[in-house]
Amino acid sequence: MADPMKIRANMMGDKVVVKVLMAHEMETGQRKDSAGKTIPAWFIQNVTATHNGKTVLSAQWGPAVSKNPFLEFRFSGGKAGEKVIVTWTDNKGDKRTDEATIA
Amino acid sequence: MSRFTDLLLALTLCAAGGAGAQADRYPGIGRAATPAEIRAWDIDVRPDFKGLPAGSGSVAKGQVIWDEKCASCHGTFGESNEVFSPLVGGTTAEDIKSGRVKALQEPMARTTLMKVSSISTLWDYINRAMPWNAPKTLAVDEVYAVLAYLLNLGDIVPADFVLSEKTMQQVQDRLPNRNGKVKYDGLWSIRGSADVRNVACMKDCKLESGLASALPDFARGTHGNLADQQRLIGPARGVDTAKAPVSAAKPVSRSMSELATKNNCSACHQLDKKLVGPSYKDIAARYKADDTAESKLVDKVKKGGGGVWGPIPMPPNALKDEDIRALVHWILAGAPE
Repeated sequence: MADPMKIRANMMGDKVVVKVLMAHEMETGQRKDSAGKTIPAWFIQNVTATHNGKTVLSAQWGPAVSKNPFLEFRFSGGKAGEKVIVTWTDNKGDKRTDEATIA
Repeated sequence: MSRFTDLLLALTLCAAGGAGAQADRYPGIGRAATPAEIRAWDIDVRPDFKGLPAGSGSVAKGQVIWDEKCASCHGTFGESNEVFSPLVGGTTAEDIKSGRVKALQEPMARTTLMKVSSISTLWDYINRAMPWNAPKTLAVDEVYAVLAYLLNLGDIVPADFVLSEKTMQQVQDRLPNRNGKVKYDGLWSIRGSADVRNVACMKDCKLESGLASALPDFARGTHGNLADQQRLIGPARGVDTAKAPVSAAKPVSRSMSELATKNNCSACHQLDKKLVGPSYKDIAARYKADDTAESKLVDKVKKGGGGVWGPIPMPPNALKDEDIRALVHWILAGAPE
């Protein structure tokens, strides 16, 4: 199980600003270790964010995204006190879901 | 032996000073500092928590202060590499157990929480130097709260933690690099020989210091522009070797540039070079044709702004209104000398 994400969701005007910090190695599959062996690729492939059961963000990521990625996005229709749920899935099938309350 | 006598002498002098002899030793010069003045100056916090004022702050409260005063430079999660090196990251639960950060042995970027070995250092630094544009403005409880939030970001304390002078030791016992301090021989060991020889000159001493070496004019450009090779933060700027040498330093208009320095503008802005924020010359060029620029910029200096010159926002600045107007007027005129 991967480390939890850090998520902050704040109202800014009538929009919700969501900031997410994910803990993930994001190996590209192109690096070699000190013994010269290729380090297998290991990266987040899908990111989705839902609010009230509705998907507000869906992204497909590749190995070009950095280690411990930071993601910021905004959506409308949210209210303070409601929840935003963010999920990622990586290429090994590992999955992590975390939620935050809109402030 | 001589080292020992020096020490003894110094101690004797200290004791004499402490006994109140100071006022008489230099008659007519100055006065002894009042206890209140000494209290205001003596703010350091030591690793054994001597000097740590009582107070407390929760992670939740620190989050609010962080968003307001710290996040613009350090990022919401302390992860930003934009203005300074990241504060948080690189530490694991394993490190918290062992007290030695494993990632330090690998060639990778280092964060504050990876390196720091005493929690008092962080408290002291935030208290005396942060926020960058308004140091020493945080109340004691706010310093505790901000530090609690920072520690929570590093997973050192839980989200409901309240940091106070009583819980500081608990945090110290969980600091990822608490066992990371080493004392190298030479500088620290009593038996080893020190790598500095600071021998005070007692006779026939040189009275004036002169330039020992200088870059000759024909070699100015040999190693590229030295100004570009200095880091952007700090007092040392390299000479701009792309330009011809200036024989005499031109005096810059004292009053306005001093006003800008006094109000910490120069922490982020320079006359003709982009630093964290745009240079005064660039600002003047952009708003040359804009009649409303003056009132717009006065407002911006007061309330803060961002998005015009890049991702790093300018925090709100608490200056006198007439100072802001004078500065903006000066900047829009091209910051004349």
